[in-house]
Amino acid sequence: MKARDLHKGLDKGGTFRPQLTSLVDIMVILLFFLIQSFSVEGNLVTPSTDLELPLSDASKSPQPYCNLHITQTQVLVDDEVIVTNQKIASSEDFMIPELFKMMKAQAVKNKDSLSKGKLIIQADKEIPFAIVKKVMFTCSKAGFDDFKVLVVQEE
Amino acid sequence: MQLKFFRASKPSETLEDEIELDITPLMNIFIILVAFLVSMAIFTRLAIVEFTLPPNVDSSMNNLQEKPQPKLTVRLDNHYVGLVLGDKLLDSLPNVNSVIPFDSLSKRLLVRASETDFKGEIVVASVDQIPFKTIVKAMDICRGAGFSKVGLSSAITDPGVSE
Repeated sequence: MKARDLHKGLDKGGTFRPQLTSLVDIMVILLFFLIQSFSVEGNLVTPSTDLELPLSDASKSPQPYCNLHITQTQVLVDDEVIVTNQKIASSEDFMIPELFKMMKAQAVKNKDSLSKGKLIIQADKEIPFAIVKKVMFTCSKAGFDDFKVLVVQEE
Repeated sequence: MQLKFFRASKPSETLEDEIELDITPLMNIFIILVAFLVSMAIFTRLAIVEFTLPPNVDSSMNNLQEKPQPKLTVRLDNHYVGLVLGDKLLDSLPNVNSVIPFDSLSKRLLVRASETDFKGEIVVASVDQIPFKTIVKAMDICRGAGFSKVGLSSAITDPGVSE
């Protein structure tokens, strides 16, 4: 190694000056990536961490309506466990009494708001249709008639 | 001439000593900007899929007196995908290794949509065992084929029993 190389990065006063060029390069790349994924609105609906949403090419943005989560094991409303999927699957009846009671209360709560009768269902992508249809049937009887399903937008 | 030019120019190291670009303020701006953009970035874009329910389930349609007109229906089954209009099975596409042939379904839907005017209405009917992601995919295929009003319904497990 030459003596000249050892002194690289030292200014006239002898203090060390780091080479920032590569750092600036990284920052510029990072900036482009973040600008690409920048959103003014943000996500108005927070997806549940317990489930994996299905992929779709739908582009309509979700609105903050009443939310119902169907995970691999249970049905939740407002993070409160209402009924297990096992119980729903074992029942012959389409109506789920525990869910009906909860959704009826939700429908009454939202009766004067813009989200009246509107429901966003967050269902795990592997959930069988048998569970989903019973949940939808119960919710429709409780006063919800405008169903939307939350999905992850495909790239 | 060109050789002379190079001789006349100073070595790059000498230039480095003379011109010093202070990029510290630029780095400060970058760091603030990156922190702001990270807080506003969305890495998973969410969307909603809208659909209608059949008249016997949707409470708003209980008062209808008229008999509903048969709609083009995509029947999702464990073994095949069927395109049904009323009692008539228009197309039957067998599942290959339990995978639903969405490409063939898309082509058949385009053909059926060009033959008859369904007013953009279609119903996706599924049997109980079909996973939810398959139903969402089928709805996407229907919308891609020009059907803007997609309904969701339940299909009986064995259509032969009812017929």
